[in-house]
Amino acid sequence: MIAALAFYVFAAILIGSAAMVVSARNPVHSVLFLILAFFNAAALFLLAGAEFLAMILVIVYVGAVAVLFLFVVMMLDVDFAALRGGFQRYLPVGLMVGLVLLIELGLVLSGWKFLPEAASIRFAPGVSNVSNTAQLGRLIYTDYVFLFQSAGLVLLVAMIGAIVLTLRDKGDSRRQVIARQIARDPNHTMVMMNLASHVGTKDLGYLRPTETEPEEAGDMPEQDHHEHAAQDVARGGHH
Amino acid sequence: MAAFFHTSFGILILTVLQALAIIVPVLLGMAYLTLAERKVLAAIQLRKGPNMVGPFGLFQPFADAIKMLMKETIIPSGANRVLFLLAPMLTFGLAVIAWAVIPVNDGWGIADINVGILYLFAISSLGVYGIIIAGWASNSKYAFFGALRSAAQMVSYEVSIGFVMVTVLICVGSLNLNDVVLAQRTVWFCVPLFPMFIIFFISGLAETNRSPFDLAEGESEIVAGFMVEYSAMTFALFFLGEYTNMILMSAMTTILFLGGWLPPFDIAPFNWIPGPLWFVAKIMFCLFVFIWVRGTFPRFRYDQLMRLGWKVFLPFSLIWLVLTAGVLVFMGWLPHVV
Amino acid sequence: MTNWTTMNWTLAIPEIVLSCFAMAILVFGALWKRESFRMCSMMAVGALLVTAMLVVSNSSGIGYRGLFTNDSFSGFIKLLVLVSSALGIIVSLDYAEHENLRRFEFPVLIMLCTVGMMIMASASNLMTLYLGLELQSLAIYVLAAFARDQLRSSEAGLKYFVLGALASGLLLYGISLIYGFSGSMAFDRLATALSDPTKASPGLIVGIVFVIAGLAFKISAVPFHMWTPDVYEGAPTPVTSFMGTAPKVAAMALLVRAMATPFGHLLPQWQQLIVLVSIASMLLGSLAAIGQTNIKRLMAYSSIGHMGYTLIGLAAGTAVGIRGVLIYLVTYVFMNAGTFACIIAMRRRGRMLEKVSDLSGLAKTDPGLAAALMIFMFSMAGIPPFTGFWGKYFIFTAAVQSGLWTLAVIGVLTSVIGAYYYLRIIKVMYFDEAHEAFDPRPGSLTFVGGVSAIFTTVFFLFPAPLVGAAEAAARVLFG
Repeated sequence: MIAALAFYVFAAILIGSAAMVVSARNPVHSVLFLILAFFNAAALFLLAGAEFLAMILVIVYVGAVAVLFLFVVMMLDVDFAALRGGFQRYLPVGLMVGLVLLIELGLVLSGWKFLPEAASIRFAPGVSNVSNTAQLGRLIYTDYVFLFQSAGLVLLVAMIGAIVLTLRDKGDSRRQVIARQIARDPNHTMVMMNLASHVGTKDLGYLRPTETEPEEAGDMPEQDHHEHAAQDVARGGHH
Repeated sequence: MAAFFHTSFGILILTVLQALAIIVPVLLGMAYLTLAERKVLAAIQLRKGPNMVGPFGLFQPFADAIKMLMKETIIPSGANRVLFLLAPMLTFGLAVIAWAVIPVNDGWGIADINVGILYLFAISSLGVYGIIIAGWASNSKYAFFGALRSAAQMVSYEVSIGFVMVTVLICVGSLNLNDVVLAQRTVWFCVPLFPMFIIFFISGLAETNRSPFDLAEGESEIVAGFMVEYSAMTFALFFLGEYTNMILMSAMTTILFLGGWLPPFDIAPFNWIPGPLWFVAKIMFCLFVFIWVRGTFPRFRYDQLMRLGWKVFLPFSLIWLVLTAGVLVFMGWLPHVV
Repeated sequence: MTNWTTMNWTLAIPEIVLSCFAMAILVFGALWKRESFRMCSMMAVGALLVTAMLVVSNSSGIGYRGLFTNDSFSGFIKLLVLVSSALGIIVSLDYAEHENLRRFEFPVLIMLCTVGMMIMASASNLMTLYLGLELQSLAIYVLAAFARDQLRSSEAGLKYFVLGALASGLLLYGISLIYGFSGSMAFDRLATALSDPTKASPGLIVGIVFVIAGLAFKISAVPFHMWTPDVYEGAPTPVTSFMGTAPKVAAMALLVRAMATPFGHLLPQWQQLIVLVSIASMLLGSLAAIGQTNIKRLMAYSSIGHMGYTLIGLAAGTAVGIRGVLIYLVTYVFMNAGTFACIIAMRRRGRMLEKVSDLSGLAKTDPGLAAALMIFMFSMAGIPPFTGFWGKYFIFTAAVQSGLWTLAVIGVLTSVIGAYYYLRIIKVMYFDEAHEAFDPRPGSLTFVGGVSAIFTTVFFLFPAPLVGAAEAAARVLFG
């Protein structure tokens, strides 16, 4: 009884929040309702005994996909008034297509009969006493290994595509090379000198690192020839 | 009496009691963690820390709580009221419900579910919502910057946390947290999986937005980040959430790597101490390290943070995962579970 | 636990090898600091050739628990796809140098796309079908937007992506209906379940309609053709060339296999649909192309028309019809690759030209190029003895044998209309005022254009091997 009640509660919230996704005025609210919808879908999975799917749904869709989605929606200032204008304009056509599809579906489904056994295998499919996760793993890595690997290739292509289309190496960005920073010796950066008291350092000019490898010049843009000259003077003066 | 606890009403009462038995100590621990943090930091910086309210300042947390309760909750006029108030509740609520699956001793968890690790991972990946919603609903630049930083950071570090968890669970052969602890009876996972332990701990610092990865609230650059517009109880809820998350992260570290409630050696003086005490002691050790790190390291720069997450931790944890799987398969050590 | 021998995993060796090559080239390109586009492209062509050899030497059978099938049909399609991908890479070599698209990801994406198309050719389960299709499409979306600094290219990629996603949605919806009403996604089980066509439920038919709609989008058949002209025009020309050949072949093969194997017993149900789509495509392809001044748009409409002719063979629903489809696809690939090689050679002072009028007087400035383009145009118009004629010949014969007289007559009529704009290009090249000469064309384009032209011209002398192979491949589907 409780399970049935829970099912109807979750299903109702799911449908309600899905409706809110398309009807909310504020796009950020839409995304948040979408997240609520994901949660309720996960809860339905839980009720059906598919705990692994439920958790993965939350981790992947709510924890990662929707976060990025929310990011984009928050950052883009989408003009929803304009979009809604189009919505109003195409509403009749859209409604008509939807109605036709609905009638078709109704015709199709009217002739649909469930097998008597269907109800019993609906929940907790598969072998009992083997955990859901293990069952999925066994199927994915044996019978469906080909599909699994192909899906991996699809993701690889998506990744390459994202990088190809967006990564721009401007060439003038300065990169931190940690190894080089750590490998730097005090001798490269410091000049130890004894100064006579009451003389001051005014004549010596600014002191800068004495030795730098040529490729390191990019890392330390504050260095220029003028300062090198000052160093030379400083050294000469000291000798 | 026993029959009563099998009726649905009895189960409800029992669950509520169990939940209270977990939540109350966690909240108390959280309160004293704030004090402990101030004391430890003070010790590191050769100060005394709070010592006025009560003996050794022990009533300080309660004084703070009363102060927070008394203050006025200010909602900025441009803010989205509902979301603005929802965000801190979400943060705190998520930090608390994660405790439902934490086993304090063998079988002592409110919910002993088959996918405990995934549940924890799911809940911890949701933590970002509290921050991102807070940042957006505040309608303030600093808050939004903080939220963006934090969201990117948490999503990035979740990836390596995920790989670390997968490594642990292929060593265990189960997603149940009880099984994870029991699998460490011979040796704690922090020994064979030492690099993953380190990665997990550091990622945990980033995941909880703790120093040296506290860019989300970096008070010297973006005042207090996503929390800048919050005051009084709403602020307190964020604060509570952050500290509860720290304790949760420590509990996860303890369960995944430090053998949960198990004593270090199953011999005389050690196994006299009951399991829950070991569990708490290990959590306290982890929390101490959290604070120690805060007192010791300067804050990361944002690009360094991202570089560490994507270019160091992610490849490394991936390689280590494959390596672990390979070793387990070739040595025939793969746990066989039904 | 897993018994690898029952998986027959060696059947997919060409796909596995090609993916490994693609990933190796990807790693090489990413780590090699210097300019690596040309080297990666060469390696990619080598990998495609190695894969082709593996395809030839691979055995037939069913692998991966029925997800994957190797037979002479899939072998035929895979070879054709590999050859056209290789041609696509070669054609891009020079273009990429000029247009600043020298990026090693280009050949890698084409290779992964090819893997997707090979999976499509071998699909014997609706899930394999979908994954192969998605792998192929996703790579093409990226390739279409490859010139990311050009608005046109980005627009083409985005447009193709959005509409393609819609088509994938239709396809998936259809697949889910089919699965829901029949209880299986495996082709052989579907075929068994549907052996009595009277028992097919309306839901299943609706599912098949959605699957046909999704696949028709991929072969740009009317009424799912709207994206074609814009995407063809906006995408970088070598990508257009590639897009017009290999993916069309693979999607057509997928459509043929999906209609023939699991739904073969429902021929009367889907035949009507295919006939309608075919007629509409032929009409639109020949009529809409007449007003085009941009040669890439013209080729887009031309490809819609060609897909219409190809669908006639499928509508015939016999082994002879499928044989016609296969032969037509081969001739189409070479005509198309050759034509696009000629289009890419249209470059004056370093700038790409795309107008038909830019070709005027080409016969005087570059007789070789003009002759090649003339061959392709004659062939596309279906004038003997070029291959285009023979492709149409086999298709129309099959239609007549199956009693689809209307279709054959409309096909002939539209070819006559279509001949107008193909011949117009020849007229522009041979009888109009000469412009300034094109830039000297690189060897790679001469190679592709030359090979295609030779094939197109001399095919009628040695048709036996191709016809024989197509016959054997078609027998697999309609015994």
